Amino acid sequence: MTQQHTPSPTPGEQPPRDDTTHFGFRSVAKDQKAGQVADVFHSVAGKYDLMNDLMSMGIHRLWKRFTIELSGVRPGHRVLDIAGGTGDLTMKFSDLVGSGGQVVLADINASMLQVGRGRLMDRGYAGNIEYVQADAEHLPFPENSFNAVSIAFGLRNVTDKDQALRDMTRVLKPGGKLMVLEFSKPTNPLLSKAYDLYSFNALPLMGQLIAGDSASYQYLAESIRMHPDQDTLKNMMEAAGLVNCKYYNMTGGVVALHVGIKP
Amino acid sequence: MYPGPTLQAALTRIIEGAINTALDLDPAGRATMLEVLAQPVQFSVTEPAPLTLTLSAVGQQVRVGSSAVGEPALHLSGQPLAFVALALGDNSVFASGRLTVAGDTATAHQFQRALDQLDPDWEGALARHIGDIPAHFIGQRLRGAIRWSKSASSVLNANVEEYIHEESRSLPGRRELEATFGDIDQLSLQVERLEARIEQLSQKAGSPDPADSSPEHS
Repeated sequence: MTQQHTPSPTPGEQPPRDDTTHFGFRSVAKDQKAGQVADVFHSVAGKYDLMNDLMSMGIHRLWKRFTIELSGVRPGHRVLDIAGGTGDLTMKFSDLVGSGGQVVLADINASMLQVGRGRLMDRGYAGNIEYVQADAEHLPFPENSFNAVSIAFGLRNVTDKDQALRDMTRVLKPGGKLMVLEFSKPTNPLLSKAYDLYSFNALPLMGQLIAGDSASYQYLAESIRMHPDQDTLKNMMEAAGLVNCKYYNMTGGVVALHVGIKP
Repeated sequence: MYPGPTLQAALTRIIEGAINTALDLDPAGRATMLEVLAQPVQFSVTEPAPLTLTLSAVGQQVRVGSSAVGEPALHLSGQPLAFVALALGDNSVFASGRLTVAGDTATAHQFQRALDQLDPDWEGALARHIGDIPAHFIGQRLRGAIRWSKSASSVLNANVEEYIHEESRSLPGRRELEATFGDIDQLSLQVERLEARIEQLSQKAGSPDPADSSPEHS
């Protein structure tokens, strides 16, 4: 069942068997993917923010800003930020929900969670934030718990995306909003070519120079290509039980924000 | 959709940064502004591309968004030039209909007052970077330059006005003009009275006056 909606692998590669899944362009056993993704993020956690700024030339802040704006989060709301990493979205949500609300920063990776917690504490964010190490496919929260759930640049690393979307929908309150911010497919062929050139050459090089790890950034570029395109992800969200699903292409479709409401 | 989400986010980020930086330099102004923005205030530019900016208070910061909110306390909409004119102090934009206002007028007045009262301490901000004495020196020079330019501008206006009215006689002077307008008003009133009188007389001449046939009045 895993990734039944994912597009075909690159030419020459076989689609994954039922007991395997993609790890970049490679096929790995399903039970190994989480561990391998964890290794990637353990390796890059320390330089994650710096690399994000360098790789996206700071534009990731604008993508996240748009996500926050569309969230409709208000004082008193409960928000779950899955794969929250170093806490960019959590910080903004914390401001919005105020002292009467709560934000849960969840990440499967302990290193990322540790970096995120340290960063938020250093900036004086405390009181309305909880930190939970959790797997997006099996969220440790009761159903109908959150007014909004966000997952930014995390879904493509999840082994079973359909299961994760179903579980995120489960924990949303009726009327709650799920926001998936993720790399997607550029809509312009010229931009697509330039983007390929950049991500398969410049990203691993930057990874090597800054974080001392080119393999993780090679995986990043490959995992983006293997991630479902805009319409496929929208269909997956509808299949998970969300309604009014729509997506917003940003920077020519390099990134897309998908939004769906729990009925 | 133009501008796209990324550009909109960039624009709102720049505006938000500028507003919050200015408010950081005026704590009293910040408190007043945050009080006014407890309910969102929305600005909609209609041309050349429709663009919405929403200002609201989040914690101790002003937040700028590019999405319309459900029920803003105040909603101003119009063309960019009308907003520029308003920012420069031209309040006629409302009377002329170049800017339309919807919502609570008290909020509009409070917002305008908060803007007028805003007095960021630019010299203090500069002093943090280059030290007190250089900042004060630059501040003094800047204030002097602003004072001089204001005074020069008003003197220039007065001189040009005097030349046009008194020396070249291209235009009549203000008092002459007022006297002429007074005469015109007077003449207009007299003409109206005359017209009414003529009307009355022509009615009398055209219809038989019951008073004429009455022997006791003849």
